[in-house]
Amino acid sequence: MDTPMNHSDYEQLAAGYVLGALEPDDEHDFQRHLGGCAQCEAIVRELEGVVGQLAYAAPPVEPPETLWASIQREVRPERRPVQPLRPRRRAGPWLVGLGAAAAIVAMVALGVWNLNLRDENVSYRQRVTALEEAARLVNEPNTSRIALQGSAAGAQATVVASSPQDRGVLIVENLPPLQRGRVYELWGIPEGGDGRPQKALVFIPLRRQGPMALEFQVPIQPGTVFAITEEPGPRGSEQPTTEPILAGKPQTV
Amino acid sequence: MRGKAYRGLEDGQLVQLVAERDDGALEALYDRYGKVAYSLARRILTDELLAQDVVQEVFLSLWRNAYRFDAGRGTVATYLLSMTHHRAVDVVRREENLRRRRTSDEVLEFEPDPAPGVEAQAEAAERRAEVRAALAQLPPAQREALALAYFGGYTQREVASLVGVPLGTVKTRMAAGMRKLKEALREAGREEQHPWTRQ
Repeated sequence: MDTPMNHSDYEQLAAGYVLGALEPDDEHDFQRHLGGCAQCEAIVRELEGVVGQLAYAAPPVEPPETLWASIQREVRPERRPVQPLRPRRRAGPWLVGLGAAAAIVAMVALGVWNLNLRDENVSYRQRVTALEEAARLVNEPNTSRIALQGSAAGAQATVVASSPQDRGVLIVENLPPLQRGRVYELWGIPEGGDGRPQKALVFIPLRRQGPMALEFQVPIQPGTVFAITEEPGPRGSEQPTTEPILAGKPQTV
Repeated sequence: MRGKAYRGLEDGQLVQLVAERDDGALEALYDRYGKVAYSLARRILTDELLAQDVVQEVFLSLWRNAYRFDAGRGTVATYLLSMTHHRAVDVVRREENLRRRRTSDEVLEFEPDPAPGVEAQAEAAERRAEVRAALAQLPPAQREALALAYFGGYTQREVASLVGVPLGTVKTRMAAGMRKLKEALREAGREEQHPWTRQ
């Protein structure tokens, strides 16, 4: 951070934050601050209520009957009469199809966008570096691409991993919003099942910035499995404490 | 007609049922909030199909993530409607052509109620009146900044350049405007025990 912010600066950012109107660098700073500030957390919670209520200021429009029908169509196959303790949707085929091409297109699109915005800003610089790293890895022979799959609706994540270099890039989009004080953590899990998960990366997705690319270093073998869990912030855990929301192992080539 | 059995339940109870894969409970929540969510998405997106996509996504997200819902963080209504807002703004930013079609003038005042009394759901009408009254109390510059961000999906920097004031001024206006709205809505009785589920 170039200019240190005081608490009231952060408080002022809370309104823009709940409206989703902050610039990426402000959002980045505010989110980091939020993780450790109960006062700002309380303000955000209150203001989120206002954001919800403001919906009633929109001129009322009757939704078409087909809208509920289309929601119901998606829901019907998954409903259950019994009550599971923690219902989790099993990973469906819908993520399996996430192809390398799509990932690369997303990366290039984001890269072009990012390069246009290249400036002194730290968060941008980190993102550009991660994209360049991803582009470089994709081009190398011993790199694997791992699509992570799981229960979170719409969430997409791909790991580009280089086992010779023990480094990689995570490209992630649409993860469910975190509760305050929580973070996502990426793990590299050695093949075979008895290896301990290795902490690769702790991150909080920016809410509205589309796909996000993040670099990490962790021991990587050709069969290493990658998983993302939700953990207590700001530093994450040494070992996973929750079920992975996304996970994937390399496809055999 | 639909969801009779759920009528007496509070939102939080319905979400618990949704977590247990009860689609009737989801329908009951849709009956309560589907229209306001759709109206908001329509207002932001000005496009019927995109608005439907957003609302569908929001309710499916509740269906899939209901077990993660934390009542300590806010009401079910806040969860659904603020998510609708977030998603709709995401889409409007992606669909740049939607935004180019509108100038800052035509966009985004919080309008007067076009047809008072037509509202079928008296309760929603009452809330609408309260929110509009709270907005009417704001200084116009604060209302404008909030409207551009809320309905237009503009960032603070974009609002600054549309309005022609420094970024810092926009930050101050939004912060002051949201604070006043919070107070006005609280006075209007929004902080009752179950503010969103009065029978």
